Amino acid sequence: MRLFQKLRRRGSPAASSGSSNYAYVTARVRAMKSNLLPNETYPRLINMDLDEITRFIEETQYKQDVDELARKFKGVDLIEHALNRNLAVTFSKMIDISEGELNYLITEYLKNYDIWDIKTILRGKYYNATLEEIKDNLVSAGQFKYNFLSELAEKESYENVIDALSNTDYYPILKNYDGTNLPEIENQLDTLYYQRLFNAIGTPKSSDRKLFSKLIRTEIDIKNIKTMFRMKKEGVEDGELEDLVLDGGLRFSLKEINKMIPLPFADFINSLEKYPYWEAMSDLVTPDMESLVDLETSLTKYTIKSAASFSHAYPLSIVPIMDYMISKKNEVNNLRIITRGKAANLDEDIIKNQLVI
Amino acid sequence: MVGEEAITMIDPAGLKAIGAGLAVGLAGVGSGIAEKDIGAAAVGAMTEREEMFGKGLIMTVIPETIVIFGLVVALLIS
Repeated sequence: MRLFQKLRRRGSPAASSGSSNYAYVTARVRAMKSNLLPNETYPRLINMDLDEITRFIEETQYKQDVDELARKFKGVDLIEHALNRNLAVTFSKMIDISEGELNYLITEYLKNYDIWDIKTILRGKYYNATLEEIKDNLVSAGQFKYNFLSELAEKESYENVIDALSNTDYYPILKNYDGTNLPEIENQLDTLYYQRLFNAIGTPKSSDRKLFSKLIRTEIDIKNIKTMFRMKKEGVEDGELEDLVLDGGLRFSLKEINKMIPLPFADFINSLEKYPYWEAMSDLVTPDMESLVDLETSLTKYTIKSAASFSHAYPLSIVPIMDYMISKKNEVNNLRIITRGKAANLDEDIIKNQLVI
Repeated sequence: MVGEEAITMIDPAGLKAIGAGLAVGLAGVGSGIAEKDIGAAAVGAMTEREEMFGKGLIMTVIPETIVIFGLVVALLIS
């Protein structure tokens, strides 16, 4: 059998080709999705105290992670690390169980965790965060293993971190980091990520690839909308715009964004009305709105919903897998919000507002 | 002359047997192709949720009906 596989691999022209096991992975992912916590769990969790939440989490799929980390951490840190570890293990599993082209696409998609980790470490170094604080936020779901990441986090200065990353694809960008231009570097990393992802997708010919590309581009749009609202609220100058928004969105081109940004807030909102994302925003957006939390929650919900509806259109494609990954990430985020909120003694209503259910 | 004719003649019973063989064989290949993905999916679902075993098994053997048709046709031919 191995010989056969070897022969088959030798025959294939590139690493990305070869037959993909869509049927196996999508069925497995669907079964995994049914293991996610149902939405009605969250209100129940909000009513519990921290110990009860830990016990509850220990009875779900996070059991193994909580058990293994219980020796090293306790309280909120334990939950945080268990959640991150579970996320990393789950996503690495996706890479392990997939083959061929599917594997290639998932690997490219998950590289955003590598970028996330690099950003976390650099930001941590920038703000002199403690080692524990940095390690709390590392998710080794991409190409970097947890040990490598924690070694990176232990380095004394950002120069050492960047040196350690010298044989990665991110080095050409990172070497321009001089200790002050962090936002610029972060945006360049994001741009690189999406460039590579679009390269991996190529010019989509089959309908499932088109859907995948549409999903990614919707994600970019949603990110851009959030950025635009934040910029409007904080009164960021137009000059910095190019560095902050991402190109390649489905509905918003850079040109349109450039046109929308100088508008006064009320006109800016009006100009959003013609986009399909308006249905997710219409009730929440007012000219005198103060908090963006509701809006961002609603937009994230929109992403999850569109991924779910796309996944029914092409059951044997990467889209159901993306849908699962987005839902899983959301579950982990929600649990983190609840535990962190509880630990900080926040009001239940505030926690509830932050949740994306 | 008579001997040569006997060599080129094909026995109808042999043709029937070949037909019957093709009926079962091709039906088997067809259902095998169909079962490939279903089986993979069933195993995938089963690794995450063991209670899917029963359902997975039933789904996997559904394309097996094609072979039964093939077998029936083969029996009718021969």
